[in-house]
Formats: sequence, structure tokens, C-alpha cells
Amino acid sequence: MKKYLPIIVAAALIVAGVIVFLLIPKTPSSQGDMLARIREKGKLTIATEGDWPPWTYHGDDNALTGFDVEIGGLIAKGLGVEPDYQEAAWDSLLAGLESGRFDIVCNGVDYTEDRAKKYACSDPYVYTEIVLVVAKDNEDIHSIEGLKGKTTSNSPNSTYAQRALDAGATVEYADTLAQTLRLVEQGRVQASINSKGSVDEYLENNPNANLKVVLTIPGDPVCFPMVKSADTDTLVAEVNRILSQLRADGTLAGLSQKYFGADMTEAK
Amino acid sequence: MAFHSLGRERGDSMVNEHWQMLTESFPQLLEYGIKVTIPLSILSFALGLAVAVTVALIQYANVRFLRRLCRFYIWITRGTPLLVQLFIVFYGLPDIGIKLSNYLSAFLVLGFNEGAYMAETMRGALESVPRGQMEAGYCAGMNYVQIMGHVVLPQAFRTAFPALGNSMIAMVKDTSMAASITMAEMFRQAQIISGQRGDVLLLYCEAAVIYLLFCTALTWLQRLGEKLLAKRGGVRA
Repeated sequence: MKKYLPIIVAAALIVAGVIVFLLIPKTPSSQGDMLARIREKGKLTIATEGDWPPWTYHGDDNALTGFDVEIGGLIAKGLGVEPDYQEAAWDSLLAGLESGRFDIVCNGVDYTEDRAKKYACSDPYVYTEIVLVVAKDNEDIHSIEGLKGKTTSNSPNSTYAQRALDAGATVEYADTLAQTLRLVEQGRVQASINSKGSVDEYLENNPNANLKVVLTIPGDPVCFPMVKSADTDTLVAEVNRILSQLRADGTLAGLSQKYFGADMTEAK
Repeated sequence: MAFHSLGRERGDSMVNEHWQMLTESFPQLLEYGIKVTIPLSILSFALGLAVAVTVALIQYANVRFLRRLCRFYIWITRGTPLLVQLFIVFYGLPDIGIKLSNYLSAFLVLGFNEGAYMAETMRGALESVPRGQMEAGYCAGMNYVQIMGHVVLPQAFRTAFPALGNSMIAMVKDTSMAASITMAEMFRQAQIISGQRGDVLLLYCEAAVIYLLFCTALTWLQRLGEKLLAKRGGVRA
């Protein structure tokens, strides 16, 4: 027993340390609320994937661009600060928001009740459609319900993965859109649920892709999540004001046309 | 303070909530650790060891063309990142018609990757056995295979043992990279649960603790093994 004592003590110390750390209240780094702090540092830290066209990707000149990247820039402009884009894997985006690394996630994040509990979500700015994609030679999947007992590829903790899980499918987790769709093409999984805009773009860029869309359905409204804390209300209100302005002057619809080839800014 | 309890209906204290999350997620993570991490580590290590011994023996025997081939393999494998190797094998190879499952890809890549490092360990250990023993073996009427099997390799293994243990520990941790090629392994599971629960720090720490547990057990096994080897060595000498 004596031999194991140091290990038990070390483990107890680690657990105690973590609990103490969690109990320390999050203190604001400086005076004022979230919005004031963003204005003070002069930049809005925007988290985005950077590899999910047409939402967020690197264009021909390798510069970061995309529907959400442009809107993120306009939000920063509206707040009177510079956009500071940080690229990270889908899975790290919301996690980084929570730990205060990012101010806002601009990455076509679907609004769900669960997410609204954890994050401060902006008003919806687009309403996407989602598609069910299978390999060209697949003849037996035609509906979301048809995924029961099948395997799909999707990003972890995405609403797409959740839909597949809810339908009774097994989900293999991939990190990027390209990986996700390749798994379907290669026949390693039978299907994927994804954003219509992204799949259309992929098919346009890869005309020989071994993929076909078997179903198009309305998706969730899309929002910009921000940190949920007592002092983000003014930031959320300001972001919503900027969004409604962009909506009113036709900028949102224009960007939607530019990136998705359709106006998706109205609820269907 | 309100930050952490947002979105939870229950009015329990925060410590209770976190404790509950930990106790609920621990068995889930451990399950993947036992179902995936441990078997994958053991299988890959076995493959790596087989590769390492083969490659080291070829180099020791100094067969010219094969030796070059071995150096080439070690050069490529040690000079490229494990993550890149995983991606090439899993996502890349299907383009030329080689489609391996995620488990098989992880097994092969981890095995051949660590195999390159262990091959160098084994080569060093083989070379540390005085060449005179080879000659002594021939004088005693043994053939090459007998000398290697009964004289050189056992001694080399003893020398290499601590370093091989090191490789095994590295292997256990490297299995977490298989998450990137769709393996539902322990770290991926921690990511998923952390997304569902909205807690990052605790879940990742929990996964870290489980890896630590596994590696601690390995360290004990390694020490035990070293003791046994020392005993055997004592009897022989």
C-alpha cells in the first residue's frame, strides 16, 4: 500500500486542482462588458474552419474567403473593429468560444435549442437546405429514415451527425467536408448529410465525383454563436442590429446569391 | 459563476454537477480505452516489433541491397509525421485502388511507424553484443541462425528492453491520432462528450488521466520485466 501512496496522492491532487480551477469565477480581463472589451482591443476574434466552401474556405489566391467570412468581416466593420480570423477544426470552434479564445464563430452554425442553452446565438441570418448524399451506385438510401442501420460520415457534434444518429445510423467522424465526402465516394460509408451549398460546390469542383444527392430538405436556421455570459448581451444586440441592417440593405441577399447562387435569407 | 451552470435545470451545486459529469463520462471513455486503445496499441506494437527485429537483423547481416532498402524505410518513416502517414494511407491510397479500413490503416501505420524507431533501437542493441561472440559461436560449431537465436538476440533484447518499453508507451499515446482517420477511439469520444456537455477542460483532463493510467501500468510492467530479465541474466552468468 505504501508504494501506491504517492500515486494516490498525485491523482487526488490533480482532481482537487481541477475542481478548484473550475470554482474560480471567470473574471473579465478588463473593465466594461464584452462589447467594450472587443472595442478596446480593436479586433473581433472570429473562429472559422477555413475548409468548408462556400461558407469558409481559401479561394484561388489562397486568401480566406466565403459567405461567413465576408459577413464576419462586415460585423467587425459594423462594430468598428478589425476582423481577426482564427482557423480551427469544426470541433474546436465552439470549444474555443467557451474558453474565451474566440469572440464569435462564423461557420454556418445551425441554431438548435441545445446550442442556444450553451452559447449566445445571434438572430438567424440564413436558412439553409441540407442534402443527403450517397455514392452513385447506391440504390437503397432515399430518405433520412433509410439511414437506419447504415453508416454515415459527418463532423463530430454537428447537427448533421445528430440527424444521422437520431435516424439510427452509425456515424464515422471526419473533420473536413472533403474528408467526409471522400468517405462516401470511396464506399467506406454509405451516406453523408451536409449543407446543400457545400455539396453543390464540391460537385461543381469535382464533376466526376462518385456522389449523388438523393434528398434535399430544409435545414435549421443558421446563426453566429458568441460566448454566453452575463456581459455579452450588448454584443449580441449589436451583432443583431448589424445583421438586420445588412438584411435591410440587401447585402445579405447579395452575398447569398454570390456564394450559394440563391437567396437563402428568408425562412422557408 | 453563472456561466457554468447555464442551461442546466437542476439546482445542484457546481461541484456536484461536475462530479456527476465525470462519473458518467469516465466509464464511457474507459470503455473505448479498453475496446480500442489497448488492443490497437498491443497489435501495432507486435507488428512494430516484428518489423524492427527483421529490419535490424537484415542490417546486422549486412546484405547490401536489403540493407539499403531498410535504411530507406527508416529514413522515410522517421522523417515524416505520423499524422501525415495516416492521412496518406487512409485518405490517399484509395485513389490508387488500395482501400484499407480505418482500423487496418491505423494498425499498419502505427506499427510501421514505431517499427522504424524500434529498428534503430534493435540495431544499436545488436551492435552492442561483442562480435567476438559470433566467432566463439562458430568455434562451438553453431550455425548463423543458432548463434543469432541463442547468443546474440537474447542479449540484444535485454539491452533494448527499456527503450522498447518507451516505444510501447509512445504507441499508446499515438493511438489518439487515429481519431483523425475516423476511428472511434478514446480521444474522439472525449471530444464528442465534451461537445454534448459543453465542457472542455474536465473531459480532456479525464482522457489524459486515462492515458496516464495506461502508461503507468506499462511503466510498472516494464520495471517488472527488467527485474525478471536481470534475474535470468544473473542465473546465466
